[in-house]
Amino acid sequence: MSAPGISAPPWLVSTGEMGQFAGRILRDVLGLRVLRFFGETVRQSGILILTSTVVIWTLVFIIGLGACGTEGAYFTQSQGAPSYAGAFAGWCDLREAIPYAFGYMMAAKIGTGIVAELGAMRINDEVDALEVMGIDSISYLCATRLLAAWMVLPFVYATGVGVAFLASYIAVVHQVASVTSGGYLLIFWQYQNPTDYLYSMIKAMTMATVIVLVSCYYGYNASGGPVGVGTATAKSMVLNIVLVTIIGMLGTQIFWGANPRAPIGG
Amino acid sequence: MGGLGHRELGGAGPGESSQSGSPAGGGGGLSAGAKLLNRALLPSRNALDEVGDMMILAGRTISSALRPPYPYGGEFVWQFLFILRVCWLPLLVSTFALSYGAPGLQAANFLSLFGGLDRLGGFFVLAVVREIGPIITGIVLAGAAGTAITADLGARKIREELDALQVLGVDPVKNLVVPRFLALMLATGLFNIYAVLFGLFGGLLAAVVNHQPLGPFWVTFFANTSTTDLWGSTLKTTVFGAIIAIVCCYKGMTASGGAEGVGRAVNQAIVVSFLVFGAFNYAFTQMLLATHPNILVIR
Repeated sequence: MSAPGISAPPWLVSTGEMGQFAGRILRDVLGLRVLRFFGETVRQSGILILTSTVVIWTLVFIIGLGACGTEGAYFTQSQGAPSYAGAFAGWCDLREAIPYAFGYMMAAKIGTGIVAELGAMRINDEVDALEVMGIDSISYLCATRLLAAWMVLPFVYATGVGVAFLASYIAVVHQVASVTSGGYLLIFWQYQNPTDYLYSMIKAMTMATVIVLVSCYYGYNASGGPVGVGTATAKSMVLNIVLVTIIGMLGTQIFWGANPRAPIGG
Repeated sequence: MGGLGHRELGGAGPGESSQSGSPAGGGGGLSAGAKLLNRALLPSRNALDEVGDMMILAGRTISSALRPPYPYGGEFVWQFLFILRVCWLPLLVSTFALSYGAPGLQAANFLSLFGGLDRLGGFFVLAVVREIGPIITGIVLAGAAGTAITADLGARKIREELDALQVLGVDPVKNLVVPRFLALMLATGLFNIYAVLFGLFGGLLAAVVNHQPLGPFWVTFFANTSTTDLWGSTLKTTVFGAIIAIVCCYKGMTASGGAEGVGRAVNQAIVVSFLVFGAFNYAFTQMLLATHPNILVIR
């Protein structure tokens, strides 16, 4: 590949390979070639719903309860404006905490799951068997998973938002009890609108897409027996954590960096 | 067998219960209601079995760490250096990026509406020292070091190296789990300090982006921070490290079923770690805020 005497550093090579691989999967999905395997896509969607939803809800609930709800209630209380706990909770939940909690839990549950599954298939030569049978293995294994994620995760995310809102409500109104239910909800809904929700959704879906692509790459290219599968799983998790954080930061910068989108001020 | 007794028990649990379930379904010995109840409680019973096994492993780890022969010094140092090597870059990048985005830009947006951007430093005590620093440290340590530990121990279990160790009279808990447990505890506690530091750098960048001088940031930060915050944060992450180590070692040592089994063990280890230390984080923060109300006062 490279010119003699010049060798690219290994991380650069694997970054390039990952880009090629991701491009191939995206072309398969966007070019609708994946629809040949629509049955498999629906099966993967079902697996996603059954195995991951509750776990994602649980983490989102914990974060909404502790980080956004309680801290928000105490913080606004100490500022002398306990009725504004809703503003803190609304921004914290919708704009930052839910996308991050969703991204991290996706990486942990769905991402490592994909690596484990595809890695084991690769080690047991099942991927080669697919190729021998004339089935395009990247389409069948990776593109179907990406399409399944796109079909299912917006709804999982939407319900997750609801779960986190409920958790913050419980923490502020019932646990700390610093503000009445009506006062909380008034401020809470004033400080967000559907556009914020759309931005939040874009952030989370970008995270989900990247996680599925990275995990498919590591799983599809696993090698070296059971040890190799374990190592690939661990490596994909590290990369996913960093990418989720960077996507979250860039999303905040792009969507809310120049415009606070608050119902007050100039 | 002694050292691994509880794991054998954990491994046998699901198989045994599914066996007891199927004859009941075929023969009709139990009433329909009892069968249904048995069926419904099966997953939770397995989960409770696992929780109990993890508790036993935790107790055994602590007691064998304290009891006299201390053969784990070299392994401890090696593990500690390994954790440092795999975690430092993801940790620094994650804390910096997350603190710049979430508390930095969003809180600066909020404060600039009131013309109170100098208060950003005070907010960072609450945001980074109390919540984000510890949570990101836990997530990165579980994601980078915990998964590697599970993959390593899982592969050894699959290749029957753990059984070989026992045949040689070497206790796997004392020689493998204890050094990882101690190394992860120490590393998580210490990494938290770096997480807080780089989180603050993220906040400083947010202040600079909003055209603010850095003096007021530091002034309000040091006016609001307290020793309680720092030790609370460090203690919390040290316990995170212990939780992650026990969960990841347990899942690794009970892996079964070839290559897929190792991958599945890593998957479960990371999910359980996240949920358990998330729940612990909530309980600990509640306790800290309730017992030390003075740290809530904005100065």
